[in-house]
Amino acid sequence: MNSNNQKIIINIDDRNYTNWKIDLKNKLKTLRSNNLEIDSKNIDLSCKDISEIIEIANHYDSKIIGFCSSSPKTIVSSQSLGYKSQFIIENSSQNTSEINKKNLTFAKTHFHQGTVRSGEYLESPGNLLILGDVNPGAKVSAEGNIIIWGKLLGIAHAGTNGNSKATISALQLRPVQLRIAKKIARGPKDKPKFGHAEQAKIDSEEIIISPLFTTQVDD
Amino acid sequence: MATDTRVILICSGKGGVGKTTLTANLGISLARQGLTTAVLDADFGLRNLDLLLGLENRIVYTAQEVLEEECRLDQALVKHKQESNLSLLPAGNPRMLDWLKPDDMKRIVDMLKEQFNYVLIDCPAGVEDGFKNAMAASQEAIVVTNPEVSAVRDADRVIGLLNTNSIKPVQLVLNRVRPKMMANQEMLSIEDVTDILALPLLGLVLEDEQVIVSTNRGEPLTLNSVNSPAAKCYLNIAKRLQGENIPLIDPLEESSGFGAKFRRLMQTKIF
Repeated sequence: MNSNNQKIIINIDDRNYTNWKIDLKNKLKTLRSNNLEIDSKNIDLSCKDISEIIEIANHYDSKIIGFCSSSPKTIVSSQSLGYKSQFIIENSSQNTSEINKKNLTFAKTHFHQGTVRSGEYLESPGNLLILGDVNPGAKVSAEGNIIIWGKLLGIAHAGTNGNSKATISALQLRPVQLRIAKKIARGPKDKPKFGHAEQAKIDSEEIIISPLFTTQVDD
Repeated sequence: MATDTRVILICSGKGGVGKTTLTANLGISLARQGLTTAVLDADFGLRNLDLLLGLENRIVYTAQEVLEEECRLDQALVKHKQESNLSLLPAGNPRMLDWLKPDDMKRIVDMLKEQFNYVLIDCPAGVEDGFKNAMAASQEAIVVTNPEVSAVRDADRVIGLLNTNSIKPVQLVLNRVRPKMMANQEMLSIEDVTDILALPLLGLVLEDEQVIVSTNRGEPLTLNSVNSPAAKCYLNIAKRLQGENIPLIDPLEESSGFGAKFRRLMQTKIF
C-alpha cells in the first residue's frame, strides 16, 4: 500500500448509522483527496452503504480507491463493487491477541477471490487467504500462513521471511512443491482423500502434511 | 448491416492443438447455417488459415494493405468457393508484427463488424504481442485444448490473461479426444480438464484421421464429409454457439459402445 494514501477511519461507538455518516462528512470536508482509503474498523457495511459513502465522497470532491476493514461483510461488499479491499484482522480483542502470542504476526491478511491460474503469482506481506483453486504452474507466497479454500495444485511458500511456524492449509493439498521458511518439499503423489482439509507445517525439521482439525490449529 | 456481431477469439496458448482447424470448420459450419462469417487470420508470423480453407491462390490483398489504406476491405476479403457466406481476411506479411498495435486490430475488426454476423479470430500460439493484439479486438473467446498436461497448463495461463482483460464468456473446446484412451485412463479425462480450467465446455472434438486429409486438401471437414466424427463435433459446436441445446457426447459411452458392438459382431460370426 502506498504511504501517501490518506486513510479515513470511520469510528463509531454506538453503531449508529447516521452518526458515522455525519462523521465521514465532517472528515471529508477538510480533506479533498483523490487517494482515499476508508478504514471502517469492525463495522458491517452493505453494498448500499458503500455506494452511499462513494456518493458522499464525490460530493466533497474526493475519490475513494479502496476499503479496509476487519468485517468480512464490508470486504465482500466493497469487493463486489470493484474496490480494492483489504481484510484486516483486529488486534484489539482479547481473543485474537491470544492467538498472536501463540502463533504468528497476524498483521494483515490478503484476501483473494477466484482461481489463481498458471503463470500467475500472488504474494502477501502478511497472511494469504484464497477463495478458489491454485492451479498447477501458479505460485502463491506469504510471510505468514496460507489458507486456501479450494485445491492447491501449484507452488505455495509460507513464511517467506523465515518463519518456520507458518502453515499451509487447503481443502485439497496436492501441490507441485511446498515451501515453508527455508524448507522445500515435493508434493505427495497419491490421490487425496475426499472431503479432508489438510495442513502442511514443519515438524522436526521436515515438512509434514496432516489432516486439518480446527482444534489443532493453535498447537 | 449486422448490429449484434459476435467477435470470437479462438486461442489456446500452446501451438498445434487445433485452433486454425477449429476456426476453419466453425467458419464453414456457421456459414452453412446462413450466417455471414468472417475468419480473420491473426497469426501474422505463421499464417495458414488460408491453406486450410483452400484459398491461398486467391489472395490478392491482405490485412496489411487494408491497414495501410492501399485497398478497401472488400478487396482484401476472400470469399470461400463453395460457402459464399464465409470470407477470409488473410494475414499480412510477418514484418507487420514490428508495427502492428492492438488499436490496428481493433480497427480491422470494427470494419468487419459492419458486414458480418460472426467474426472469428484465429489467434497465434503463445501469449506475446500477437496474442495481445488479437485479444484487444475480441469480445468473447473459445479456448482450445487437448487432453494433455502441457496443453491444459498453457490454456490455463491464457484463461488467466483473458479474465484480466475482461473477455467473456470464455468457453472451452476439448480437441483430439480419444474415447478408448480416456476409457482406459491413459489420457486426461474430461473432468480432469474442466476441474483445472473451470470453464463451461462448449464441445468435444473426437480424434479423426480425416482431419489430416482435409487439411492437406484445403477442404475443411465440415464442407463435405459430414459423416466423419470430427465434422459432427464441429457442427455441434457451431450450433451450441448459436444457443441450441445439444447434449455433449460421452466419450466413455462412445468407446464402450464400439466395444460392445464389436463383441456382438464377433459372437454372431463365431456361432
